[in-house]
Amino acid sequence: MKLTFGAVLATTTAISGAAFAASHSDTMTIGITQNNVGVDSYQTTYEQAFIAAAEANDMVETVVLDAGGDVARQIAQMEDLIQQEVDAIIIWPTNGEAVIPAVRKASQAGIPVIVTNSNIAEQGFDFVASFSGPDNITQGSRSAEIMCDRFKDLGIDGEARVVQISGQPGYTTAIERAQGFEERLPEVCPDVTLVETQPGDWNREKSQQVMEAFLVKYDDIDGVYSGDDNMGVGALNAAKAAGRAGDITFVGATNFAVGYEAMAAGDYWGSIYQSPVDDAEAALQTAIDVLNGEEVPFLNYFDTPKITQDNMDEFTKPVF
Amino acid sequence: MNKETLIKQGGIWVFILVELAFFSIAGEFLSVTDVAFMDYGNMLLLLKQSAPIGIIALGMTIVMINGNIDLSVGATFALAAIVLLDSMTWPFMQALGDWAIPLAWLFALLTGTVLGAINGLIVWKTGVDAFIVTLGAMLGYRGLVFMYNGEQPTSHLNWTLVDFAEAQFLGLHTATWFLLGAALVLWLVMTRTVHGRNAYAIGNNREAAVNAGIRVGPHFLWNFMLIGFLAALSAVVFYSESGSVNPNDGMLYELWAITAVVLGGTKLTGGYGSIISTLGGVIAIQLLRKGLGHIGADTETVNLVIGLILIAVLFLDRQLNRRGKEELKT
Repeated sequence: MKLTFGAVLATTTAISGAAFAASHSDTMTIGITQNNVGVDSYQTTYEQAFIAAAEANDMVETVVLDAGGDVARQIAQMEDLIQQEVDAIIIWPTNGEAVIPAVRKASQAGIPVIVTNSNIAEQGFDFVASFSGPDNITQGSRSAEIMCDRFKDLGIDGEARVVQISGQPGYTTAIERAQGFEERLPEVCPDVTLVETQPGDWNREKSQQVMEAFLVKYDDIDGVYSGDDNMGVGALNAAKAAGRAGDITFVGATNFAVGYEAMAAGDYWGSIYQSPVDDAEAALQTAIDVLNGEEVPFLNYFDTPKITQDNMDEFTKPVF
Repeated sequence: MNKETLIKQGGIWVFILVELAFFSIAGEFLSVTDVAFMDYGNMLLLLKQSAPIGIIALGMTIVMINGNIDLSVGATFALAAIVLLDSMTWPFMQALGDWAIPLAWLFALLTGTVLGAINGLIVWKTGVDAFIVTLGAMLGYRGLVFMYNGEQPTSHLNWTLVDFAEAQFLGLHTATWFLLGAALVLWLVMTRTVHGRNAYAIGNNREAAVNAGIRVGPHFLWNFMLIGFLAALSAVVFYSESGSVNPNDGMLYELWAITAVVLGGTKLTGGYGSIISTLGGVIAIQLLRKGLGHIGADTETVNLVIGLILIAVLFLDRQLNRRGKEELKT
């Protein structure tokens, strides 16, 4: 057995020594359990930004955990954080409903819970101190403004026709991004008509097919609004294949690297910039504010600015 | 020989003690919390958190003692969970009020047993290796999970059920009782019944077992039904407390269960193994996950460490066996 012990000891000490060098003192301890860090670069960047922000703050000690997408592991991590008597817990839910009982447990133990990035289901709101994340309705309504401003510049705001490719049905994110756009567009551009909405399921190939059908059905399309740039680029590809991309303004509700590249190439007009760094810093700040007893709104959104071909050089290319 | 058995069966418990000592000492220096790692409450949580994979691993032990393997348990786990939660929303079930809960459990356990029986029947009647049969089942059952509700989670939050699952009786959590209860029953089956002795006999030498008049096919069928039932039981215990299933839940559970079984010293080739040692293997894995979190190490390093230990265990096992054979020669 000696060999076994040696391996464990060597590995664990090496890793833990490197990962954690903070000292004990009268600071606030904040635990975070993330969804699935390795799965995409948004989450990877989020974790790095979170650790960097926590290290920059002398008052904060953190326990950074990752559920690896496994609900059981996330619930176990919630229990562990409660057991360790941390001062606050930040959770990026693996499943917006499955974690509710674990969140209730933390709230019963007197530990404030901050939900980050994607909110938990409404049944759990009573047990949550605050939600920190992007406001999908604002992202949708800002997309409407980008679209409208572009039509005004082109002088077609009196008669333009728009189609919408929405995210996966049933997802709050998809519903809210569509809602924000549909409510804001008539306010800023009353003469622009939204002719049809079809789901693209967050999938590029699916939205390309949806766009192909739109192009056959409608001779006159001036704008395409999509739930994110991934779907927007799918629509762009369809329009390019039909030779009609030049007549159409493409706007997405969240900027992806593919959208940023298409903007740089002049094919894609604009989107909404959602930064994982802002997301992580906002979550940590919300937790600190809650612990300091400050008034924090239940839905505590971080800012997601507009990005278009005109101002894109102010932003770095999204990592996702 | 006696000494070797002691080393083999006791090894995992020594390892657990070392883990406890290491994380307790390291935790004093590295952890941000003032609560000791060996805190009573934390040890109770350890047992509770071992339950989802633990209950499955107990069944896997018997299947592996048989010389078989079951890769479909993760998918069975997810499908049973969906049946558990979805059945509670059916109109006639809702009319029953909280009496729907035991019925929903029954449906879920039945689902697991039937899925296990399908595996067992195919292995029995076609003679195809269990690895291949259950590999197919793993994909097929997972397909059913996705057909049920697409990519969406299936949810039904019932607070009565949550309160039951979170309850602590004599200090132990509900999930712990199920884990220990299942372990006790299976230990009795493996050590005190004909079925248990046959399981070892078949794993040791299948041909000899057939010649001795053991009906190997039906024996396999029973064991696959048993592991299907246990995978569903694990889902029942876990999802009573969480109320929502993602379609990819339970993925890789088969590998974690097999890892726990192998850590516990059960032979991949069959014929040797013990329920109690598997329990040790499960606790060792959960202890590692908990401990690394406790001292602030990256959670993902757990996989690396467990991988290293697994190789070390197999190496050690081989060394011991080789020495045993050499002793026989002299």
